[in-house]
Amino acid sequence: MSVKAFELVPAVERDLLMGDKARINVECLECCGKHLYVGTNDCFVHHFLLEEVPSPKGRIAYVAQKLQQKYLGLKKPVAELRAASALERLIVLCDGVLFLVDMATLETVPSATGSGGARIKGVTSFCMNGNPVNADPFCVEIAVISSRRRTVQVYTVFEDRVQLVKEVTTTEQPSVVSLDGYFLCLALASQYMILNYTTGASQDLFPYNSEERRPIVKRIGREEFLLAAPGGLGMFANAEGVSQRAPVNWSERVIGAAVCFPYVVALDQDFISIHSMLDQQLKQSLAFRDGHILQDFEGKVVLASTKAVYILVPLPLEQQIQDLLCGDRVEEALVLTEGAQPNIPRDRFQILHRRILQQAGFIQFGQLQFQEAQEYFRKGELDARELISLYPLLLPPTSSFTRCHPPLHPFADLNHLAQGDPGKVLRCKRFLISYLGTVRGTEASRVCREEVDTALLKLYAEQDHESLLDLLASDNTCLLADSAPWLEKHSKYFALGLLYRCNGQDSAALQLWIRVVDGELQDSTRPDLYEYIVDILTFCPDLDLVWRYSDWALKRDPKVGVQIFTKRSAGKDQSGQPKPDDVITYLEKHSHARLFYLEHLVLERRVQKEKFHSLLAVLYLEQVLSLLGGSRPPAPDQLSHARDRLQALLRESNLYRVQLLLDKMEGCDQLLLEQATLHGKLEDHGKALDILVHQLRDYGSAEAYCLWASSSSTSSSRQHLLHLLLDLYLDGGAGERAGDLEMAAVDLLNRHGDQFDAVRVLSVLPEGWSLQLLKPFLGRAVRASVHAGRTSRLALGLSRAENLQLLHDRLKERRKPILVSEKRGCHLCHNTFSCPDVVCLPGAVPVHTHCIAHRLSDSAPNTHADSAPDKHSTQNSNHT
Amino acid sequence: MPEVSKMKKPDVKVVILGDTSVGKTSLLHRYTERKFRDTISTVGGAFYLKQWGPYNISIWDTAGREQFHGLGSMYCRGAAAIILTYDVTNWQSLAEIEERFLSLTDTANNDCIYAIVGNKADLTDPQAQLTVATDGLTDDQGEGGEQRMKLQVPPACPTPPASPASPSSLLKQVGHDEATALYGRILRYKGLDEKSSLPADRMCFETSAKTGYNVDALFETLFDLVLPSILRKRNENQWSPTVDLEDYREANGKRRGCC
Ligand SMILES: Nc1nc2c(ncn2[C@@H]2O[C@H](COP(=O)(O)OP(=O)(O)O)[C@@H](O)[C@H]2O)c(=O)[nH]1
Ligand SMILES: [Mg+2]
Repeated sequence: MSVKAFELVPAVERDLLMGDKARINVECLECCGKHLYVGTNDCFVHHFLLEEVPSPKGRIAYVAQKLQQKYLGLKKPVAELRAASALERLIVLCDGVLFLVDMATLETVPSATGSGGARIKGVTSFCMNGNPVNADPFCVEIAVISSRRRTVQVYTVFEDRVQLVKEVTTTEQPSVVSLDGYFLCLALASQYMILNYTTGASQDLFPYNSEERRPIVKRIGREEFLLAAPGGLGMFANAEGVSQRAPVNWSERVIGAAVCFPYVVALDQDFISIHSMLDQQLKQSLAFRDGHILQDFEGKVVLASTKAVYILVPLPLEQQIQDLLCGDRVEEALVLTEGAQPNIPRDRFQILHRRILQQAGFIQFGQLQFQEAQEYFRKGELDARELISLYPLLLPPTSSFTRCHPPLHPFADLNHLAQGDPGKVLRCKRFLISYLGTVRGTEASRVCREEVDTALLKLYAEQDHESLLDLLASDNTCLLADSAPWLEKHSKYFALGLLYRCNGQDSAALQLWIRVVDGELQDSTRPDLYEYIVDILTFCPDLDLVWRYSDWALKRDPKVGVQIFTKRSAGKDQSGQPKPDDVITYLEKHSHARLFYLEHLVLERRVQKEKFHSLLAVLYLEQVLSLLGGSRPPAPDQLSHARDRLQALLRESNLYRVQLLLDKMEGCDQLLLEQATLHGKLEDHGKALDILVHQLRDYGSAEAYCLWASSSSTSSSRQHLLHLLLDLYLDGGAGERAGDLEMAAVDLLNRHGDQFDAVRVLSVLPEGWSLQLLKPFLGRAVRASVHAGRTSRLALGLSRAENLQLLHDRLKERRKPILVSEKRGCHLCHNTFSCPDVVCLPGAVPVHTHCIAHRLSDSAPNTHADSAPDKHSTQNSNHT
Repeated sequence: MPEVSKMKKPDVKVVILGDTSVGKTSLLHRYTERKFRDTISTVGGAFYLKQWGPYNISIWDTAGREQFHGLGSMYCRGAAAIILTYDVTNWQSLAEIEERFLSLTDTANNDCIYAIVGNKADLTDPQAQLTVATDGLTDDQGEGGEQRMKLQVPPACPTPPASPASPSSLLKQVGHDEATALYGRILRYKGLDEKSSLPADRMCFETSAKTGYNVDALFETLFDLVLPSILRKRNENQWSPTVDLEDYREANGKRRGCC
């Protein structure tokens, strides 16, 4: 179907022109502002005032008032009329004569005396220059086809005279002419051509048989003409003879044509046809009987039948566009809109264009052409809420949005659009998801961020869309009040918790999630929700929240729950972190967790605090004791594991309260090893070794004890311990154990031969021992002794040499004078000397006496502190 | 999608000439709409504006009618490229190029580029039977669907090598060398030196509007080649007569003086 682009409105009815005189016909027209001139075949010119009056329904009507009519006195038809309004003249062609008539009085203008006069004879046709070359506003240029063979003349017309500018001849007889600047566009007998009348350059356009069909040469703009072409085409040609616009397809018998942008209007005997220049399509066709004249004056298209005059009123562009849109002819509507851009003020065009694009988008949307719809929405910068509001319940009730008026589309809502087809509804929803995904975050959607995010959230929840969590994890503006019930409805509790958190309601989030973990609510989004909560508590800066919800977490799984405390930042800045003492108090009820936490403090973070070490040791011990004292014998690896932990702590820590633990182990002969260690910690090595050798009879452990207990101290203390052990072995007493102990002694000596004081050993060894037995020991002892002797001699030699060197230096220095003056500075404090009392450093460096005294007193404790601390002694000082 | 460019004046003109039914309209349709339809009648001159980079290129299709009425040379006036089309299954259509259409191109620009295009290659060449996937759009292929062969498509090259004798190639009436020979004769007709002109194997195409084979390559090669012509034209016509209709108000104002 076509567009309604124009409306045919009567302007001058038959009564006003010729009444019932049948033989009188309209011959030509001129319209200038409100003035309409009509020439008839009885040589009259009628002058009307044409008033535009709005009629009901917003239409336009014309009322013509006859001002005058004038007989030109030639008894021939008035062939052509043209107004030169600046001159107040009508140029009239009648009976082959061209002359001037006053526009107001219609009196013929007499020729000015002397000059060439105000008439031209032998004229078959003429035209005005649409693009005058003469700058003088009080003259017009015309081109005239002369009845003399093959001649075209160009004249300048003044108020009362005409002046020939140029005469050119053509190869064939011209019949129609049009003039633009210097370019004549002519219809010759067999073709059209363009002729530059100043240069004489010509360009043939195309063949056309002017005798067969009436040629049309219509200037449509600067240096561009519209021509009737063979085959019923309307061809465009510019002054260079190039066709730059696609032709339109007219009927064969076109009488007149005009351009009323963006349309080409053509008249034949029965129809007015209207083609778009934008897509060359026929857009409208109006029946028009006895069509005779079609001309455009300043954009106004005037038509005449033989008896009456009409005006072709263009409908407002917007209405045309809306008509097209009503017919779902989106592309045409857009082409029309965009084609009209040059004729519409910029801002108005933008508003119009945007609206059309939006409407176009909804039309495509209604047809589920989502890709196209999205493109239109994007270009039309659609307010996303227009689209959201189509989907029931997606807009938050608090949104202030109201749909655009007049509406962009006829749909009440999605159900209306989809007519209950659930498949369609679903596709629309998927589209909205992708659409909102793309508009989200753009500048255009800034005003409706909340609505966009909330709608997305609802759609994601409803569609079980994976992006729900991404949305909530990112910066979003979802409205909590509106979204929460929706998420609950769709059992998206995890998501709801996230939303609470986005809104700073961590506590609500945790409460909700706890109910999910406890199985009160069902949402399988995160199977590891419990760990997730622990993680949140771990990194939660709000300690209130941590104290409030950790209890639950610890109850559920102490090992994981305790991470809330153990995985917290152990960095320098412990402000804002819970104090370990508070945590331990808090964990009182959760013994497992407390143990884990203490292990974390003592073993991982290596917190050097007696309380934690003692507590951990006590807890370890209690665990071992409870295993030992249990009714059923414990699994062996369970017990050994517990003891290993205890022993390791007892050995490695120096902070726990030894006596306390010893008291707790009192009388427990299953924990002799531990007791030995504790005695060791108390430096009671005799007791410790006694336990190991006599009670436990574990010689390996005894030997290991000696090494452990002396591991961080001097070799003399190790020697002391080894001797202690050796003595224990040797006075092992009688009985069958004596042999055992002797063997242990031999092994000890042989293994650590170099560590013993050999002389002392030899003095205590029983006489009866064979040399063979002690060979490894003796070998090592002798080698160690020789080595020590040689080392000492070497040291002695070196010391002597050094001493000699120093003596030599001293002698040298003594012989030199040492200069001290008030100008020299002390090397230590850099102040000058004020008295001769100085001390001289090696190298003849004088310094103040007080400076060197100061230096010595400063460095004395330093040198002491620098030397390696005696581990044993520090250990001891800490034991109280 | 409607093109904003439809309102713009074209910078350059490309004209498709050739005998009736060789597939001129189908080629233009395939290129612009990415589709093939079995019957499209060419009403008036089909015309399409293509935005190519910053330029607007108008492509003019012609119908026998215009050529008959002598409008062909009007269409070609000012053309920067002319596509001379024949049908590979119809030897006469190649002959017609030389006999009827070549003279119409006299009005084209001096530096006009000529391409010789043998269309309907799908009927003779298995390679050209493969539907070219275009922008993920489905092609309405008509009855041709069953004929599709499972061949690897080599990247579109302007001149497909002649396929080995296969049953379908029996139909082929115009060989590639005949097209290149014609191209040489056209250069001579234009008085152009073969060495300084574009080489024949670059300017002779075999296409299929039906499958889309080589169609994009044809148009895009031409567009790239006419760019210098656009630039030249722009420089020449600083105050060119190519002014839009928007100017009509102003022009009228002048004419009427102080009305
Ligand atoms: N097999 C085949 N047929 C084609 C091809 N191109 C056009 N046709 C057909 O040839 C006929 C003429 O096509 P048309 O485009 O109207 O030719 P025009 O007169 O040159 O514009 C139509 O029936 C088309 O379906 C092609 O590449 N392959
Ligand atoms: Mg065609």
